[in-house]
Amino acid sequence: MSRVLGREERADPARADRPERPDMLDLGGVQARRRRTTERAFGAAVFVPVFLALALLVTLLFDVVTDSFSWQVIEPRNSGQSFSFLEGFAAFGTWENVVRLELLAQGRTQEEVDALLSDPEARRVFGARNRVELMPWVDGRPLRWFVTSIRDDGVADLPLFEGWRRRAELLAGAEPGQVVLLNAWLDLGFLAKNASRSPAMAGLLPALVGSLMLVALVIVLSVPLGVGTAVYLEEYAGDTRFARLVELNLSNLAGVPSVVYGILGLTVFVRLLGLGPVVLAGALTLTLLVVPVVVVAAREAIRAVPDSLRQAAYGLGATRSQVIARVVLPNAIAGITTGVILAVARAIGETAPLLVIGAAAFVPRPPDGPLSLFTAIPIQVYTWVSENDVEFTHVASAAIVVLLLVLGVLYSLAFYLRRRYESRW
Amino acid sequence: MTRAERTSDASLRLSPATRARERLVRGLLLFCAGLSVLTTFGVIAVLVGETAAFFADPAVTFREFFTSKRWTPLFADQSFGILPLLSGTFLVTAIALVVGVPLGLMSAVYLSEFAPAGRRRRVTSLLELLAGIPTVVLGYFALLFVTPLLQRVVPGLNLFNPLSAGLVMGFMILPTVSSISTDAMQAVPSSLRQAAYGLGATKVQLIFRVVLPAALSGIVASVVLAMSRAVGETMIVTLAAGQRPLFTLDPRETIATMTSFIVQAATGDQPAGSLASRSLYAVAATLFAITLLLNLVSQLVVRRYRERYE
Repeated sequence: MSRVLGREERADPARADRPERPDMLDLGGVQARRRRTTERAFGAAVFVPVFLALALLVTLLFDVVTDSFSWQVIEPRNSGQSFSFLEGFAAFGTWENVVRLELLAQGRTQEEVDALLSDPEARRVFGARNRVELMPWVDGRPLRWFVTSIRDDGVADLPLFEGWRRRAELLAGAEPGQVVLLNAWLDLGFLAKNASRSPAMAGLLPALVGSLMLVALVIVLSVPLGVGTAVYLEEYAGDTRFARLVELNLSNLAGVPSVVYGILGLTVFVRLLGLGPVVLAGALTLTLLVVPVVVVAAREAIRAVPDSLRQAAYGLGATRSQVIARVVLPNAIAGITTGVILAVARAIGETAPLLVIGAAAFVPRPPDGPLSLFTAIPIQVYTWVSENDVEFTHVASAAIVVLLLVLGVLYSLAFYLRRRYESRW
Repeated sequence: MTRAERTSDASLRLSPATRARERLVRGLLLFCAGLSVLTTFGVIAVLVGETAAFFADPAVTFREFFTSKRWTPLFADQSFGILPLLSGTFLVTAIALVVGVPLGLMSAVYLSEFAPAGRRRRVTSLLELLAGIPTVVLGYFALLFVTPLLQRVVPGLNLFNPLSAGLVMGFMILPTVSSISTDAMQAVPSSLRQAAYGLGATKVQLIFRVVLPAALSGIVASVVLAMSRAVGETMIVTLAAGQRPLFTLDPRETIATMTSFIVQAATGDQPAGSLASRSLYAVAATLFAITLLLNLVSQLVVRRYRERYE
């Protein structure tokens, strides 16, 4: 397509020197048709990047989702039995039910199992070393409960499609004591489990809680700052030198690489204020990063509130702060919310500044306050990918799926709000 | 600015309590606005302070920093020549621009000149989604999907290489180029378009001879801004391009960029105040200076373009 186009373009200057007949005399319509063809080819050519962008997005999602599954041949250290969904399922206490079945399958008597399950310490130890998982496919049978152990030996790990193609071969080749299963790395257990050095046992809970705490703090800190700045610029400052300084400054801050914010956070919050690499330090750093996003959105929303409303309020004797609190902000709330959601989305996905301030790579338990060490979902993704281990890449993709789902919800919300309130005035 | 000309609070007959409250609100808002300026000063103070301390060390000279081709601050045998990091950054940025700028411009032409209103909105949302993907996810994609794919085609391609990092980064900057260029093209007055059509121009001629030249400054600004984003991008290069400072322009080699060095040095255990830790600030200061310069250039270009049509 592009070659056709190029020829058209090169032909152009010549045509300018020697004017051709006007279209009126183009009796056969040859020129008109050629023009239309060129135009259509060009229109199709400039659509290519849109198509590529869509293809990249789809490929990325597809890759991440399929990577969060894998076929595995493992040598379990426990019984290696699996239990059907109905057999293991109990509305309350499925975990306990499956553990009971597993312990019985290991050859213990009913009394031993009862004693073990009623002893809290024994339960805790069992829970720390084993995980009850619902696998889509185990040894040729669909949807089965399986108890994985921290000491299970992995024999093979195959991608989703390759394993599906070779499943008969895998089953036939499995030695006694080996189990072939389709592991869905992203399951409820993944979200509920703490961190672990073993990929099969690694969970996202500390990172999930860390990210939520970060976001909550970022909202609390950045909304007043961002909206306050926007209100000042729009309602108070006018065209003063200070306002222009703030404006220039904001547009430059938006262009500062996020890793540089990390260095500011490391130097000021972590070292100078002595906070250490804790949730609060991370939230402060991210706040500096997203405030420009909130300011831009809030300014736009405030500017969209018609002046007639303000004048009416002033006419009723309202003071300036009353006009802002009761007229301007309530009418700009949708736009401001959209901006805050976009800022939150940015903060959730941001990795580099948190890495630089020293957010810990391995946090065994969720943080219990703004002053405890933390990790966040993108940091977990980074550390798991850096493990350079095929099973950890599955864990990383499971975390990415969670991250993208969260972002998907946020973006849908932002798009919805924007469309709904776009042209109110 | 009509709002600024509004009667000031002082001339109204307000009770002292109300007046005090108004002043307090104003003060608080002023404080919020001032804090962003403070952030900038904070960044500059931190970078300048530590960088000065870095250069004050007898083991470092300006000349070595800007001309030596060895960057090994984390080794026992320290050497501080930033050229390998600059070449790595340049390489990745160049690849990203080669991919991202043509694609971004083409999609801008599509959005501004060809797409019907409904589809324009959908395509814009799609590009916004692309821009919203966390870069750590793009880094994962570059390392684990694009690199294995490229290794089948490109002989001698390392596991960590600037080629796949740059390719993926090209898609990261595509939305930046596209959205700013679309705005610039749509700002071209319709009188110009109608004049061109009146002279018998085809749509293709209109685009190449009227719209693109008229929107040129906006387009240039978008490219410069995209360049600044590519230079400052961290996670894609850290994950996919590697952390080995090498003075080369071979896109198959494992390299390091300024940003990936910063992550490497910050995640390692360098004691604060050590020369290795200060080298991080020197690199960050260089990075900051480059991106600031690019941003200023882009703003300057945009300002010129505004004067032409308003």
